[in-house]
Amino acid sequence: MKKYQYIVVGGCIGMASLLSGCEKFLDKPLENQQRSEEIDYTDLSLMYAPVSGVYRAASDDNLVHWIDLSIRCVREDDYERGAPSPNDNPELMAIKHFQRDVTIQSYWGLNQSWISYYSLAIAANSALTELGHFAEAIPSGNTADAALNRQYQAEVRFLRAYAHLMASRLFGDVPILSDSDDIARLTTIEKSTVAEVRQFIIDEMDACAADLEDARPNQSIHVGAVTKYSALLLKAKAAADLAGNDSASPYWDVVLDATNQIIESNKFSLYPDFYQLFKLPGKLSDESLFELQFSDFGLPAGDIVRPGIDWGTFFRWQGPAGDQRGSAISGAGWVPPSQDIVNFLTNRGDDTRLKTTILYCGEDGDPDTYVETPSGDRVYGNPFGTKYFNGKTYLPVSQMTEGRLEYGANNNVRILRYADVLLLNAEAKVRKGQNGDEPFRLIRERADMEPITGVTLDQILDERRAEFACEWWGERFNDLVRTGRAQQVFGSEFVPGQSEYVPIPQTQIDANTNFR
Amino acid sequence: MNKNLLKLAMVTLLSCTYGFVQAQSSVVTGTVTDAGGNPLVASVTVKNAPGIGTTTSETGAFTLTVPQTADSLVVSSVGYVRQAFAISGTVLNLQLTADGAFNLDEVVVIGYGTQRKGDLTAPVATVNMENAAKRTISTPMDALQGAVAGVQVVSSGAPGTTPTVRVRGVGSFNNENPLYVVDGMFMDNIDFLNPNDIADMSVLKDASGAAIYGVRAANGVIIVTTKKGSLNMKPRVTYNGYVGVQTPNNVLKMADGSQFAAYSLAKGENSVVESSVSKFGGTNASPAMSTDWYGELLRSGALITNHNLDVQGGSDKITYTFGINYLDQDGIMDAENYHRKYNIRMQAEARVASWLKIGFTGHLNNSNQFSPNNAAFRQAYFASPLYPVYDPSLELAKPVKFGTSSSLGIPTGFWFNNPIATAYYNHNESKGFQILPSAYLEANFWDNKLTFRSQLSQRYQSAHAIGYTPVYYIDNDQRSDRSYLRSAQTRNTNYILDNLLTYRDEAGSHHWTVLLGQSAREERWRETWVSANDVPESSEFWYVGQGAQGTGSATGYGEGGFRNAGISYFARGTYDYDSKYLLTATFRADGSSKYQTKWGYFPSLGLGWVLSREKFMENQSLFDLLKVRGSWGLLGNDGIQPNAGYAIVNSGNNYSAIFGSMGSTYGSRIPGYRVGRFFTQVRWEMVEEWDGGIDFALLDNRLSGAVDYYYRKTKDLAFDRPIPFMWDRVYGNWGSVANSGWEIGLDWKDQAGEFAYSIGVNATTLKNKVVDLGGLANIMNGFPEWSAEFPARIEEGQPINYYYGYEVAGVYQSQAEIDADPIARQYNEANPGSPILPGYLRYKDQNSNGELDEADRVNLGNYLPKLTYGLNIGLSYKQFDFSVALQGVAGNKIHNLNRAMRRKYPQMNMDQAFYEGLWTGEGSTNAYPSAQGSVASWNLQASSFFVESGAYLRVQNIQAGYRFNIQGAIPVRIFATADRPFIFTRYNGFTPEITGMGYDANVYPVSSTYSLGLNVSF
Repeated sequence: MKKYQYIVVGGCIGMASLLSGCEKFLDKPLENQQRSEEIDYTDLSLMYAPVSGVYRAASDDNLVHWIDLSIRCVREDDYERGAPSPNDNPELMAIKHFQRDVTIQSYWGLNQSWISYYSLAIAANSALTELGHFAEAIPSGNTADAALNRQYQAEVRFLRAYAHLMASRLFGDVPILSDSDDIARLTTIEKSTVAEVRQFIIDEMDACAADLEDARPNQSIHVGAVTKYSALLLKAKAAADLAGNDSASPYWDVVLDATNQIIESNKFSLYPDFYQLFKLPGKLSDESLFELQFSDFGLPAGDIVRPGIDWGTFFRWQGPAGDQRGSAISGAGWVPPSQDIVNFLTNRGDDTRLKTTILYCGEDGDPDTYVETPSGDRVYGNPFGTKYFNGKTYLPVSQMTEGRLEYGANNNVRILRYADVLLLNAEAKVRKGQNGDEPFRLIRERADMEPITGVTLDQILDERRAEFACEWWGERFNDLVRTGRAQQVFGSEFVPGQSEYVPIPQTQIDANTNFR
Repeated sequence: MNKNLLKLAMVTLLSCTYGFVQAQSSVVTGTVTDAGGNPLVASVTVKNAPGIGTTTSETGAFTLTVPQTADSLVVSSVGYVRQAFAISGTVLNLQLTADGAFNLDEVVVIGYGTQRKGDLTAPVATVNMENAAKRTISTPMDALQGAVAGVQVVSSGAPGTTPTVRVRGVGSFNNENPLYVVDGMFMDNIDFLNPNDIADMSVLKDASGAAIYGVRAANGVIIVTTKKGSLNMKPRVTYNGYVGVQTPNNVLKMADGSQFAAYSLAKGENSVVESSVSKFGGTNASPAMSTDWYGELLRSGALITNHNLDVQGGSDKITYTFGINYLDQDGIMDAENYHRKYNIRMQAEARVASWLKIGFTGHLNNSNQFSPNNAAFRQAYFASPLYPVYDPSLELAKPVKFGTSSSLGIPTGFWFNNPIATAYYNHNESKGFQILPSAYLEANFWDNKLTFRSQLSQRYQSAHAIGYTPVYYIDNDQRSDRSYLRSAQTRNTNYILDNLLTYRDEAGSHHWTVLLGQSAREERWRETWVSANDVPESSEFWYVGQGAQGTGSATGYGEGGFRNAGISYFARGTYDYDSKYLLTATFRADGSSKYQTKWGYFPSLGLGWVLSREKFMENQSLFDLLKVRGSWGLLGNDGIQPNAGYAIVNSGNNYSAIFGSMGSTYGSRIPGYRVGRFFTQVRWEMVEEWDGGIDFALLDNRLSGAVDYYYRKTKDLAFDRPIPFMWDRVYGNWGSVANSGWEIGLDWKDQAGEFAYSIGVNATTLKNKVVDLGGLANIMNGFPEWSAEFPARIEEGQPINYYYGYEVAGVYQSQAEIDADPIARQYNEANPGSPILPGYLRYKDQNSNGELDEADRVNLGNYLPKLTYGLNIGLSYKQFDFSVALQGVAGNKIHNLNRAMRRKYPQMNMDQAFYEGLWTGEGSTNAYPSAQGSVASWNLQASSFFVESGAYLRVQNIQAGYRFNIQGAIPVRIFATADRPFIFTRYNGFTPEITGMGYDANVYPVSSTYSLGLNVSF
């Protein structure tokens, strides 16, 4: 019997030693997670992938988040209010009235805006690191791929610069986050001034323009990607911010030069039908310089790429509130256009832009009535008495993919347009004492307005307001700030030197005290 | 490799059985009685022959085959002194004497073995399973509430959910739950067991006890041994069952129609009230509509039934147990939701040779859970009472005419949806099974001094979850235009292989044991899901191929999974001199595939001194036992996230942008990826624990107890830290935290004639302190999505995650008070459009600079209770018995996030206490803001207004029982139980038991259960 006991003992010792010989037993990499080291940087067909990733970051949430959108809009006189109900997100109305105390600093929406912009910057930085790895793998003789690599880097840098412009226009002095590989840097980085941020953008665009495609975005190999001309417009916008209301500023030369280059390329033209510019036919038109692209792929259900979370997409958020009787033309009813902008467009007889920008929620907002849109959709009123909704986010049912019921699905979000180039060009010319009539004429003509000769700065600024009315990017507010006219419009509530920007969120200051 | 092991084990096993030799033996019969001659159910074993034994019948009779070498029998019975009797013939009538409270010879289950209670150097709590089985609960861990010192059980109240169990405070953010070892298998929870299945439950709280489980031990270890038969045991059948009803308890009273109307009018939302009055009648002051959403959503009298049948027995070579258990529990939400499961348990052990045992344990669980949509409770908290559940006037509503808050002009959307509709349009079912097979062999050598045990434990678990949303329409937002089906399959396959070698010997008064062990384990989880739209409503068509209008394509799919492996080597040595001086030392080396640092080392040391055995204690009669213990050790936490230690690439459809979406073309994705660049190299999270304690028994063992002081320091505490600029958090080892406190457990037992009673008290104090943050000044944390508004802060020298905000000093009662206050004056000058008004909260200007700023924020309290306590009282008189269990906590705070959510959702309803507390004019209250002020951002800052005391005392269980015999021989006990019948708390929420960081977003009412039960054994 002893014999068998020894077998058992032998067996157990054998087992134990078998296992201990298996060090590899513990070498199990994390499952279902691809590690960056495994990317084959010599496979240059992958080189656009990190760039595509950043575009997606921008279009998912970072530039179209519903609360960020509301904060940007609500400061303008083009919009009536934030939420349809006055007690809902009262901070939005406080921001509209330029309040900036602890109750605003602790507002979650500001934190969301901050995070939206900087998440895009961080995604861009990460993609640049990736592109750097690809660049290292390109053989020295391969100039074509090296040039492509530079072009891709430049596209990513454009997106990063745009994120910084948005952040600085909202928060003022903000950090320039051009390097975020080291996590420790996030908690120690310091703020840069508004001017430094603009200069950073100009420098970046100067560095990028030559590397970018010399084409219209809709002619790009990656249809709709930003090109040289997108960079030139972004540079012009940063320069105009820097120039401010000082017509003698050398930055007007920068604006003029950049916009001239775009115009003289003869690649761009205004889309003839202003109303359709914001609908399906106007997606990625010859007027587009920067546009976020979305799609439902023509499918009635399933796969869709949309701006933001499904219940709060860029479009749904601005759609008409109230009981729409099952119609797809419905939304949350936030940031409705103001009576002020309606009057402004009406008074100047700007019928085309009025028709495009302003749509009606029933008769005077009455929930029991409806008004048909120019495209024939019925829109009912609502219990909040909101009279208007933003026509530039409106996509008629007739243009929707059959079977879809999601307002705005399959439409793109327009950001930079050729109209901005023409108007900045006209403004720079006028400020420099030149004649700005020609670019100005194109804008008026498309909007079915009579041309003006000897156009003045005031007329240009009015035209800018009409052209970009309710276009979400804070252009109107920025124009008032950079031309020093904010107080004229907003009254004494607006304190120059203070009301231009909202405070940096307290939670961000807690995480990095340099933001204090 | 695993296969080879199995083969080897089989071969060894087969070759062993070959050498089986029958030893000579004789048969002994007899009875066991108490001092009064009453028969006792007792266990009878042969001394120095482990495994040979039986249990007496209800008449106290036993028959046992004993080897001829055997000279005495050891008899033990609960409540009696364990005693050895010489085998002085073939018929023995044995009498036991009643025990006091404390039995030193009681054998306690410890990690990978057992030990005499008297020889323990660690505070090991054994759970009284008889008391635990009294509670009508669906998971055995609920039975621990208030029963064991140092163990806090937080139950969310929702059926089928696992309670949070904290052993000695919070030393980790990763996995607070202790390790459960069920018959050798490591489990994350023991929900699948029934308290009646459990023979023995030990809680290892300190390092000396738990360190043998190394990397899994940081949160304590709970060892569960299921019931087993014994040799030569007459089959014994036990039935235990109860039927009860569950009733929601402590349901928060929400404001009714007229209160909500008055509140809305006061904040200037007249149209809400006017809409309701014009549509549903009444007046502004007293609207006709007053929907009690919780009343509509809840049912009282949801059934709970539990049946448990258990058969145990054994022949001279084989022991067996067979158990079957069935639980059927309906939820308290008045919609389809239930939890049904049955468990089958089998255990068999064969004595192949006098020196060899082989055994098999198997659990088979089958469960079917239909989960309610708990979002309905959140919506019931938010919903205005001014609109009806059903509104036939809504033309488009289909298929059911549910009402909508949009008829009041309150925007709908997720939070403001009709809660009853949410509950109704819900199908969320999960069907699963689990098999836990475990096989072992145990061989004894060298006169039983050497024992080798090898055990392979496995877990196969699979579940199929089906979610279906039908087509319906209520309003613009609460609608489902296309039906949606999601079907997910999950699978767990785990195994553990343990090999243990135990050496037990003695020489004179020296006794020692040595345990050497080795363990290998692997855990795999996998999930595959698909979804489709337009699937027909009838459940037989719930296949994705039936969806998408006949095109048959899935609209979504995904897979997830993980795989971890570990190897361990461990050893334990115990030594005692005359059971007087005690030493335990353990060491474990753990290898894990989860981290870059593959190996961790966990030593522990325990010392004990039994003073009552010393000469100088001989002449005193006060102490029956006095023992001093001390221990130190390192423990690991395996619950920390597996870490890659490299940047992760996110790719696929969700990371690829659309290009070419131009005009009427749709465009397509260009494959993209994004690299998550923020990662750290995660190290092992280690707990260093010190424990000192005293065990004592006095006054003829009537009073017994233990007092411990513990100090646990978690080093390299791993958690997700928020980082500036983004929502992403970074996981890493960011600090150290210490938990310390006293643990006291006291038991008093006495008897006077036929009246017997017992009182058990336990209390634990906890002091939690962050001791190191790796150089960071602080880390801001908080409830996800609300961390910016209502932060929790981690700071050196303070308790972890304290609520951080302004201290409310009162309420501005008048304009004069506002004008006199620098903060309010300054604010009103800056914001003439939205000034601070009377009825607004007055915050304390901590730095007295006349301005409310970030420096005025302070520590507002912490969620960890400073004191956790329990009280258990048992009485018995003749055939009646009665018991009460209470438990409670004190010294903790709760952040009432439900109220604070008004910051984002100002049109939500409120609890009645909130409404009644509102400031209505000068002198009305100094605690609550006015109605108008309650939605002003000034009053919705992180402040002490939202932080409330979390202290409570809960009557956990009351039970009354009556014992009798049928046909003179079959003992029966019938009992009536009330579970969680009362709670005493001042907290304004459904329950003060909040999991996580104490942010109360819980809207699920806890239910009381009233039941009748029956216990029969024959």
